[in-house]
Amino acid sequence: MQFSPARPRPASNFELYSWFFMRISALVLIFLVGFHLFYMHVILGVDAIDFDVISGRWESPFWRLYDFFMLVFGWLHCGNGVRVILDDYIHHQGWRVIAKTALYVVIFVLLVLGSYIVFTFKPL
Amino acid sequence: MAAVGNFFRAVTYRGREGQIAWMLHRVTGIGVFVFLAGHIIDIFLMAFGPEVFNALLFFYHQFVFKLSIVFGLFPGALYHGLNGIRVIIVDFWPDLGKKQALLWRVQIGIFAVAYIPSAIIMIDKMFFGH
Repeated sequence: MQFSPARPRPASNFELYSWFFMRISALVLIFLVGFHLFYMHVILGVDAIDFDVISGRWESPFWRLYDFFMLVFGWLHCGNGVRVILDDYIHHQGWRVIAKTALYVVIFVLLVLGSYIVFTFKPL
Repeated sequence: MAAVGNFFRAVTYRGREGQIAWMLHRVTGIGVFVFLAGHIIDIFLMAFGPEVFNALLFFYHQFVFKLSIVFGLFPGALYHGLNGIRVIIVDFWPDLGKKQALLWRVQIGIFAVAYIPSAIIMIDKMFFGH
């Protein structure tokens, strides 16, 4: 009787950690983004949000940290999701490298821009 | 042409609840990614002071953009979150996978209860100024 060979062990645990990160960040984001969307859109409304509102919000270190965690977890969760989607649909090795390099650059640059403003903003 | 064939297979594959749930999860995820990229950049513009920041807010006050918040971003993020909770539940209690179609229907019920009143309040604020 012929048996197919066992599935080869993955070379690294990266995909396992990626799976775990998606679950952990999801649980955090349910609360952070859930309240953020509810407060900003249902309680305040887009027309009520301007420079002064955000500046006032960042008077408090609590809200700076809140926004920072939302940025880090939200943006990396998004980026990792797009990475999985690129792997699913782009099979040509060259295009895959190009697309994922572009993705990683965008993830890194926006993570830096967002962190920079959350921590260095000085209310007027 | 391969893309057309793949698309045709995707829409004619009768995967019912599970397939619809998965497709919506992808589409809403990509949508939130695109929105969030723009949102990080617009919040970064806080660095340039109130004149610049407030002047650029016209973008968020356009009719089309407001529509896309009420009917795109908000329900998209809400669906993605609720569907993610369902996926996590089934990941950790695999036996519930046998009832995945029912779970998804319950999830859509919760979505409707959360979304409809929120949408009414948002539309009232955005377009009727209350």
